[in-house]
Amino acid sequence: MFENYLSIMIFVPILTGLALLLLPVSREAARALGLAVSVIVVLLGLKVFVAYDGASGGFEFTEHAVVNESLGIAYSLGVDGISILVLAAAALLFPMVYLLFATRAKGYYANLLIVQGAMIGALAATDMVLFYVFWEVMLLPIFFMIGLYGGPRRFPAAIKITIYTIAGSLLMLASLIYLGIAYHDQSGQWSFAMENLSAMSLAGPTATLAFIGFMIAFAIKIPLFPFHTWLPDAYTEAPTATTFVLSAVMAKIGVYGVIRFVVPVFDESFARYALILACSGVVGMMYCGIAALAQKDMKRMLAFSSASHMGIIALGIFCMNVQALTGTLYQIVAHATSTGVIFLMLGIIEERTDTRTIDDFGGMAAKAPVLAFFFAVAMLASVGLPGTSGFIGEFLIILGAVKFNPLIALFAGTTLIIGVCYMLWLFQRVFFETTNPRLEHFRDLTAVEMLTLLPIVILIIVMGVFPQPFIKKIEPSAQQQLAAISTTTHIAGTAQAGPNLKTGEL
Amino acid sequence: MINNYLALSIVLFCLGILGVVSRRNVFVVFMAIELMLNAANLGFVAVSRLHVNMDGHVLALMVMAVAAAEAALALAVIILLHKHKGNLDTNIFSLLKG
Amino acid sequence: MVHNVSYLGFIPLLPLAGALILGLMYLATCQGKQISERLYGILGCIGPVLSFFMALRVFFSLRGLPEQERFLSHVAYTWFSTGELDIPMGFLADPLSAIMLLFVTFVGSLIHIYSIGYMKGDARYGKFFAYLNLFLGSMLILVLGDGPVVMFVGWEGVGLCSYLLIGFWSDDRSNVMAGNKAFIVNRIGDLGFVLGMGFLFWGIGADGFDYLSLKANAQNLTAPVGLVVCLLLFVGATGKSAQIPLYVWLPDAMAGPTPVSALIHAATMVTAGVYMVARFSFLYAHVPAAGEIVAWIGMLTALLAAIFGMYQDDIKKILAYSTVSQLGYMFAGVGVAAYSAGIFHVFTHAFFKALLFLAAGSVIIALHHEQNIWKMGGLRSKLPTTYKTMLIGGLALAGCPPFAGFFSKDEILYSALASGHVLIWMIGVVVAGMTAYYTFRMIFVVFHGTPRDQEAFDHAHESPKVMTVPLVILAIGSVFAGFYNLPAIFGGHQKFSHWLAPSLVEHHPHGGVGLEILAVAASVVAFVIGVSIAYRKFSVPVAEPVYKGFNKFGYHKFYVDELYHTVIVRPYQFIGKAISRAIEPFVIDAPVQASGWLYRMFGLAFKVFQAGYVKVYAIYMVIGLSVLSLLVSQSLN
Repeated sequence: MFENYLSIMIFVPILTGLALLLLPVSREAARALGLAVSVIVVLLGLKVFVAYDGASGGFEFTEHAVVNESLGIAYSLGVDGISILVLAAAALLFPMVYLLFATRAKGYYANLLIVQGAMIGALAATDMVLFYVFWEVMLLPIFFMIGLYGGPRRFPAAIKITIYTIAGSLLMLASLIYLGIAYHDQSGQWSFAMENLSAMSLAGPTATLAFIGFMIAFAIKIPLFPFHTWLPDAYTEAPTATTFVLSAVMAKIGVYGVIRFVVPVFDESFARYALILACSGVVGMMYCGIAALAQKDMKRMLAFSSASHMGIIALGIFCMNVQALTGTLYQIVAHATSTGVIFLMLGIIEERTDTRTIDDFGGMAAKAPVLAFFFAVAMLASVGLPGTSGFIGEFLIILGAVKFNPLIALFAGTTLIIGVCYMLWLFQRVFFETTNPRLEHFRDLTAVEMLTLLPIVILIIVMGVFPQPFIKKIEPSAQQQLAAISTTTHIAGTAQAGPNLKTGEL
Repeated sequence: MINNYLALSIVLFCLGILGVVSRRNVFVVFMAIELMLNAANLGFVAVSRLHVNMDGHVLALMVMAVAAAEAALALAVIILLHKHKGNLDTNIFSLLKG
Repeated sequence: MVHNVSYLGFIPLLPLAGALILGLMYLATCQGKQISERLYGILGCIGPVLSFFMALRVFFSLRGLPEQERFLSHVAYTWFSTGELDIPMGFLADPLSAIMLLFVTFVGSLIHIYSIGYMKGDARYGKFFAYLNLFLGSMLILVLGDGPVVMFVGWEGVGLCSYLLIGFWSDDRSNVMAGNKAFIVNRIGDLGFVLGMGFLFWGIGADGFDYLSLKANAQNLTAPVGLVVCLLLFVGATGKSAQIPLYVWLPDAMAGPTPVSALIHAATMVTAGVYMVARFSFLYAHVPAAGEIVAWIGMLTALLAAIFGMYQDDIKKILAYSTVSQLGYMFAGVGVAAYSAGIFHVFTHAFFKALLFLAAGSVIIALHHEQNIWKMGGLRSKLPTTYKTMLIGGLALAGCPPFAGFFSKDEILYSALASGHVLIWMIGVVVAGMTAYYTFRMIFVVFHGTPRDQEAFDHAHESPKVMTVPLVILAIGSVFAGFYNLPAIFGGHQKFSHWLAPSLVEHHPHGGVGLEILAVAASVVAFVIGVSIAYRKFSVPVAEPVYKGFNKFGYHKFYVDELYHTVIVRPYQFIGKAISRAIEPFVIDAPVQASGWLYRMFGLAFKVFQAGYVKVYAIYMVIGLSVLSLLVSQSLN
């Protein structure tokens, strides 16, 4: 019938969103249209996910069109094991927002559509300029959604996230231009295609600077410690759907960017600075995890929790072995589902009670057992309990970290403890103990809400019990991505200084 | 010979500048600007004559056309300004203050 | 030789399915019309009982095989695999897991039946059985899982259920806090477990991460890595099995309903650590230093917990500390490489400690949830069955020959002595005396003497059949379980140890008959001394004592909880607050805020030039143009 699945998934939401902004449509119609488009994207996303074979590790569903021949910029798309799961998450999670939050402004739904298209674009782009364009486009709707529909302190938060991210993006742009010129110098042609750039061998201080430029851009988006300070404000002030988008998908695109672009292009610098980056991930995990315990606002606590998890997810990249990298790619989606469900339920709770302060809650399990059950499943996935999606990724990352550096692994492992500390405390204060009088008339999830969240809750369990079908799709690409590193690092003599546990040299 | 023309042009131009800077009435400021335009025209024509080349004339005619269009627009703006504040003192209009 | 049997996977699956069904039923009806308790009770017991029969089938099919072929396994599917790592969802039934399987399902089924009576009238009846089923399923995964990762699934699963069941009466804050404490402390241990798995994998796991492959490759593990692996795994065991320094959660865990204490916090889950060490006997056998540490930690825990046990007021806490203490014995056993002795104590302990808890539960129900022994007394006449069964349990725990606990404890102490750990043995004998003392202190105060609370005494009545029948069955087990491993000096053949031999890597020490008699004699003497002191002090009516000096120190459990609170919990909270109130805004975010501030300052500075008057701008233009033309003319010249 047609083959440009990815293009459709990108441009139908974006164009619908733009049309919604321009046309005088009622918000009910906007919501219905948004839901319809997001369902179409879900169907296409499922089609892509199921049809993606992945055994070769190469790109599938490729599309290619030259945009500017003299500069070598092309409109080229493709999916491989690195992007398939994130792409699926970006495609599948959105209908929930339209279903759960029915009374928002037209522009809210329009921006949601645009951001979804842009994120899918960023994930599917295999040309770096194209990636950069989508990368910037996806920021704008976020700015408007926070600035227009956010909480009481929305303006500083919106400006902070926007300027912070753009500052990083500009560094990336400069580095990108450097890459183009370097490629032109080496081959006499202009190109920004991924496969061309990653085939280059870069050396010297300028290459390191370019590496740092890319790394900072992605580190801000992920966010890696100490570039995370926009996150608590933005997550807290943003409307729930935006927080959901930010934490479930957008942060993951930062991680994805590191794996997709930084690892193959700057293999040598990456290997050299991996230890520092890994430390940053671990410190961020512990720092944000401990800070989460001291929060009084549920959303802010979960924002810190999200940042904490991103630290451990990022760590998986820096360990440079296939277990950790697969774990990261898996954890990206596992975390998207668990944290996504949690933020959505938080949105539901907030709509019903008009408060997020933990002290205003208590005993909700008695009032809303289904909500409590769903929350508990997501919470357990978030603390990495085996049998839920959260365990597989975390386990693989820690396993990989042991090979990379046992000390890092030890500190990374504390995520097991830090996570439960604040999560159990939150669960206790909100769902257990005696019922707070404020919640006397709190009602449980409605049928629509239950049916909306149920697929994700089931997915959390399924991904914990049957992870192999997912891992099978990502593993070959992860292997390939690392093959580049291992060859160059051996040549450059910067192989990681990890212990060899086989021979027992600790 | 050319120097005299250019000297006159510069003198006219400086008078225009002085007018713009020192006068407070918007209308007078506008006339001073016209003076500056014409000073430039004089320069164009003089140099054109020197080089025996019609480019300068073309530019002068062009400037005149632009000046005419600008006059039409500017007068309309001035009338609106007067309607708005009832006065044409430039010091009243300081909306651009940082 | 490994035999593939596909029904292995169903053993844990049955209770898990029960948990799912019960849970959904409860969720669907908890706010409307309640389903009858009878239905929940029957549904709740089906899974465990069926699992028990399947466990019997496993046991007998193993018995039918030649000794070295007693391995049944089943790989359900590939759980996950990436690179060298390959983790199948595999189950292994060998003699060791068969024993665990048998008593876990047996005791589990009995406690499910007992709970039908105990939980009567509770608003969350269905939820309780769902959790209990979930626990049993997880425990069976723990026991049956082939390889440390699958074991970890059960390991964490039982931890979760423990958390949920400790805080089962979640309206009370302290119950939930106790649950949190259990989960968090267990997680500290789990960190060790996970890291241990990591080291083990990168050492020898690439050729297969199931027990039999690991066992085959164990000699390839170098000594330092082996030591690290053993110690890290043991950290996991100290968490789950409540050993020093992570024992603090178990006494608090008594906040849960009594059947939970009996099943999870006495008979099954807390012994998982011992099972794990025995399971990895092929590693520990290579690293004697690790075993030494395990044995010492175990024996010191036994001593410490026994001291605390002597001062407790709460009947369940006495039993809780006694559990910690007995677990210490088990670790001492596996630590001195007497794995079968340790597991044997796990086995007998499951009977008598479950019995003691259930009997205590019967007392507690009879007195309407009174747990303080100083409010009891003289209950012998009111609760005859409970008294008799508890007495049997007490005798078994205290190590009175010929009850179950005597043989298993004696086996451990003898192994310690015969393997040259004389100091450990001596502490063990002292602890045995203390055990006898605090057990009979409890029994005498509760059942003998005169009633201390006459009104409660008058209303007390014996529990229904559904509760006393399990007591009687367990009492029979407590009497006879010990005969399964009779040593040679009592005319036995150590059948239990021989049965376990294919699963373990162990060398039975031969200390000679003299040492054996010495060990037995010392144990008996310790028992007699302990009981007689308890008899002298508590068989007569006594009031609640007031503790002074060292006794007060012991009564307050050496202030360990307070110490942990001050040294770990408070600083942790302080750091959290410091980060979110000081470090985050004033250190990490400061450069970001400063850059914004700098921009604003620049703006303020340049604002001066923006007067807003047209002629000022005109002057700027003139100046600019003049400078520009000056520059141009300069460069032209």
